[in-house]
Amino acid sequence: MKRIYSLVFSLILCMGCNIAGAQNCCDSLKRDVALPVISSYMVDFGGASVLDTYLSPIRYTGLNLRIGYERLQAMKFNPEKWINQLEAGIDYSPAENPAKNHTIHTLMVDLKWGMMHRWRMRQVDGLQLFGGGSTQLRGGALYAPANSNNVVSVKINWSIDLTGMAVYNKRIGRLPVTFRYQATLPVLGVFYSPEYGESYYEIYVGNRSGLVHFGWVGNRFALTNLFTADMHFGGTTVRIGYRNVTETSWVNNLNTQIFRNSFVLGLCGEWLSIRPGSKLSEKARIISAMY
Amino acid sequence: MDMKKTGNILFVILVALMISSCHKQEEFDNDPYGNFDALWTNVDEHYCFFKYKNVDWVEIGRRYREQLRPGMSSTALFDVCAEMLKELRDGHTNLISAWDVSRYWIWEQYPKNYDERIINQYYLNFNYKQSSSIKYTILSNNFGYMYYGDFSGAIGEGNLDNILAYLAASDGLVIDVRDNGGGFLTNVEKLVRRFITERIHAGAISHKTGPGHDDFSEPYDYYFDPVDDTRIKYLKPIVILANRSSYSATNNFVSIMKCLPNVRIVGDTTGGGSGLPFTYDMPNGWTVRMSASEITDPNGVVTEFGVEPSPGCKVDMTETEMAMGIDAILEKSFDVLEMMINE
Repeated sequence: MKRIYSLVFSLILCMGCNIAGAQNCCDSLKRDVALPVISSYMVDFGGASVLDTYLSPIRYTGLNLRIGYERLQAMKFNPEKWINQLEAGIDYSPAENPAKNHTIHTLMVDLKWGMMHRWRMRQVDGLQLFGGGSTQLRGGALYAPANSNNVVSVKINWSIDLTGMAVYNKRIGRLPVTFRYQATLPVLGVFYSPEYGESYYEIYVGNRSGLVHFGWVGNRFALTNLFTADMHFGGTTVRIGYRNVTETSWVNNLNTQIFRNSFVLGLCGEWLSIRPGSKLSEKARIISAMY
Repeated sequence: MDMKKTGNILFVILVALMISSCHKQEEFDNDPYGNFDALWTNVDEHYCFFKYKNVDWVEIGRRYREQLRPGMSSTALFDVCAEMLKELRDGHTNLISAWDVSRYWIWEQYPKNYDERIINQYYLNFNYKQSSSIKYTILSNNFGYMYYGDFSGAIGEGNLDNILAYLAASDGLVIDVRDNGGGFLTNVEKLVRRFITERIHAGAISHKTGPGHDDFSEPYDYYFDPVDDTRIKYLKPIVILANRSSYSATNNFVSIMKCLPNVRIVGDTTGGGSGLPFTYDMPNGWTVRMSASEITDPNGVVTEFGVEPSPGCKVDMTETEMAMGIDAILEKSFDVLEMMINE
């Protein structure tokens, strides 16, 4: 028992030393390092394919529109090696059946926060690799106005994800361009699904059993691939890209498959906030999250 | 084990997991056979009364599929599909196309047992109040009368307070739900809560848990609570007037009210429709609506084929009486109310 106490004490001591070290590091960073925020506002437009057998056994296809925001910043405790990413967006997809006489409207909102470790590849100038994790909350509904008691399929999902990113800064002619590929794979989480033929009236009168499910890649597979090219025109950056989103689930004998392929158009800026009255030190090193 | 081998194994596991969650969905061609099979499969996997009605869906499907011909017209295919659905004997089951809706509305063959004009002219003297979707008044015999013709029609708590405050002076109440084809079950609860003083067992719901004919959840008992004391209730004798066109949510309302001690049902058996309908579509754009979730009454009885009137309260309106401006069902309700008051 005494040995266990000693071990725990040693661990706490080590952590304390690390925190103290990090604090010292931060104090010096405050003076010498500036961590700009890369803010991006994006619009996606493309196509969607929607299958949700709670609503229909038929696959619907149509448009996909998304308005999104992304924020990237190197993290204070170790800005060379760690960055954080915040993303939020709203997707809307009006999709039609093959006969073109019914529509399913899909509206989804998502919020994601993650941390990634950075490796600068010395072998290839301008190449950085990132790997880490994120957590995201995604919710919304599919609405089939032609249906009766199965008129809506609610989707709520919280997940812990693996995420990886490759960034390559390169000049094309005189134009600096940042190429980027990022993949995000939810691996664990919880999600909501009604049972096979369960009405929302039954849920309303109190039967809430079997609605929340433990999610993993075996019953809920989702993957987001994002390719972008950020073209830096002076202080303004124009982003063009492509986003591919796969969301599938198989639970309670209900099959959901939503695929989105969209072009991405965005405006980005790298911002540095400085306290009024203070100046950025001439020696200050600016560490960008990605550029 | 070297790194390459481990990587390969992990890759295979990941692909296997992706395949398992990305479940293959059966697809049907958009031709007569494909659409027929899509319809048959939709019903096969979601309809909830096969066992209750002793329907052999496989045999029915085989029999009607034999009537298909390659290249047959859409109208001919619709007729075959519509006839097949009628085998389910279900008013909640419809095939919906751009030009027709197939139906099994058996109530059309029964006595109508309701004439709005007779009520308005000879009993209400065209003089009644209307609040939200309910018309109401106190009749000359001091019985209250409420007509609710559509459970889809909005009823607010404030409307009900005003209606029941006005009717509070009556000796008994007639709630007429004849020709009410149903609507929202939430309105059933809203109305029933005005006529109870304690929590009541309103029934049980079970739903399909999978495509098999026996894949059902355990029945879930649900309850209604009375409105709080700041709201107006009506607790005097009540008679519900029903006919065969009292269907779906109305059937549910009648089945619950029938179990209250101060309530009698007068008129005809209701039209039934105790299954909650779900809708699915087919490759050609037609939709099929069908009973997909089963609701029983407070006694655990399936009321798919209707709720019978209280003992001694079955009444049909005759042509002769109607010609004389007499609503025999309403007249009977006065007798029943008098009897309940004197009991």
